[in-house]
Amino acid sequence: MALPLKYHWRHLLSRRTSTLLTVLVVSAVVGVFTWMVGFALALRGSLAVADDDHKLIVIKRGATAESNSAIIPEDESRLVALSDVATDAATGERLISPEMLTQVSLPRLRDAGRTSANVAVRGVTPMAFKVHRKVRLVRGALFDLGEPQIIVGAAAAKQFAGLEIGSTVQLGSSGNRPYRVVGIFSADGGPMESEIWGYLESLKNAYGRSMYSSVNLRLRDGVDPQNVIDEVEGPAIQLSAWTEPAYWSQQSGLIKAYLMLAGSLIAVMSLAAIFAIANTMFSSVAGRTREIAMLRTIGFSGRQVLAGFVIESVLLALIGGILGCAGAMAWLNLVGNRKDMFGMSTFTTMAFEINPSPLMWGCSLVMVLAVGALGALWPARRAAALDVITALRQV
Amino acid sequence: MSAADIELSNVHKSYYKDRLEIPVLHGLNLKIGPGDFVAMMGPSGSGKSTLLHLIGGLDSPSDGSIRVGDALLERMTERALTAWRSRHVGFIFQMYHLVPVLTAAQNVELPLLLFRMPASERRRRVETALSVVGLADRADHRPNQLSGGQEQRVAIARAIVTDPEVILADEPTGDLDARMSEEILNLLNLLNSEFGKTILMVTHDPRAASHARRIIHLDKGVLERTEENPVRQPMAGARAAS
Repeated sequence: MALPLKYHWRHLLSRRTSTLLTVLVVSAVVGVFTWMVGFALALRGSLAVADDDHKLIVIKRGATAESNSAIIPEDESRLVALSDVATDAATGERLISPEMLTQVSLPRLRDAGRTSANVAVRGVTPMAFKVHRKVRLVRGALFDLGEPQIIVGAAAAKQFAGLEIGSTVQLGSSGNRPYRVVGIFSADGGPMESEIWGYLESLKNAYGRSMYSSVNLRLRDGVDPQNVIDEVEGPAIQLSAWTEPAYWSQQSGLIKAYLMLAGSLIAVMSLAAIFAIANTMFSSVAGRTREIAMLRTIGFSGRQVLAGFVIESVLLALIGGILGCAGAMAWLNLVGNRKDMFGMSTFTTMAFEINPSPLMWGCSLVMVLAVGALGALWPARRAAALDVITALRQV
Repeated sequence: MSAADIELSNVHKSYYKDRLEIPVLHGLNLKIGPGDFVAMMGPSGSGKSTLLHLIGGLDSPSDGSIRVGDALLERMTERALTAWRSRHVGFIFQMYHLVPVLTAAQNVELPLLLFRMPASERRRRVETALSVVGLADRADHRPNQLSGGQEQRVAIARAIVTDPEVILADEPTGDLDARMSEEILNLLNLLNSEFGKTILMVTHDPRAASHARRIIHLDKGVLERTEENPVRQPMAGARAAS
């Protein structure tokens, strides 16, 4: 049987100042870590929805994203001729969606409009709903082709002002005929849910565009997307094609770099937490050499003493961890769980929600346990390896 | 648990410092009968504490043999020695070595945590041990709420709570005034005469040694002489050989 928890707990309480300082360091690290994990999970969840590898996004050769791509209508005609593009069973039309992408600056709801962010505006035809299968209207109506109307992604509607049904948005040179929001659409939480969609020809006029930003294709079932990509990028068409997951993976490069940077920051902070715990535990071991010697003398093994200090360290980390998680929750409640992130080369933001999940708490718990155990490693080994005779002779 | 005898045969002990051998005990022979109370005296550095640590299985001899009851200590692994100590030996230290954050009862309970034992049985044993040392009413006191003598009595309760055959005491009155020392020595006498514990006590104090049945004198690692205490009757079978 190991030493009882009250033994460790009371030792922690007996060193109030060092315990409190260590708890504060650990709670700060765990709080930031929890928030970062929630952020990363939300972002990953959003990007993971863009997983349709039978949808190709075609942009201009040399362009890196739809925002800096321009495709002339003649190129679209060449794509129509591709034999591997799927056909609509009802109408016999090829599932090809020419689209135009631009952005509009809108005030954020979370800070009452004090700051703004760029929201993607996509001009589409009704065919887009057959090519982008995850996009579906959840409220209101589809835009009327002859009217200045738009539909708004659910994530964008939650985070930006003036996007509720019935409100109007000034787009391009729409002047005194602003676009009216008539519907809200879902994209199963994917990146398109952060966009505003309107009729392609109307938006081309509003922005004075004659070219498309991209052409999206749906491939027939069973077709190897790489064959179509090779054909699109070949000498006959000379455009650039990506499957949806490859495109978003490439687009989120900046976000990945940001997450890596944040991860490195967390790693450094975790090291600080480990050292804080190790320092507290070292001083605890140093102050309790005779007590450790007594325990060894009356029959506690080195392993039991080691386990005791690891338990004490993990207990210390857990207190910090609980405070840190509570802090992260309080922060989410205070500033809201809706986030948007600029990082795509579309020069627009992606909106998402950080929702506490078992995975997020699980990651934090693992981190807390790791910090506690690693912090205890050296001091606990020192305690277990204590020379009992020498310690007993100390008066 | 019945008392155990102790037998040391040609025990040598050396320490090494910077590869330099420092001999401490030189071929020591000693027999302590079951239920004996032996005081060990000698100047600093004579090897008293080293001998106590060897008999307690905290250290191993460089040469020779140590038997405590049925246990041949030099043949046991460190792990086996640790387990053996917890069952058969009670330790009393000069500075008590109580855990300051635990109550008297919790300190006494510590050795019992090493055994598979229901909490109710642990509680019963702790109460008994504290009653023996006269501190049943101080069970919930922390060490800083007790006098030095009371702290040492808690340490004695901790030493006897597992009902060991042998009690090893290293200067148990070294940090106490005369009155408290007397209390502790009377308690050790009680454990020896009423409960039959074999006690080996290291002390510098002749008055403390006078409570023992026999006094052995160590000097420079050899057994110099043995005195029978004329006041206290020696136990049958207890004798020393050097």
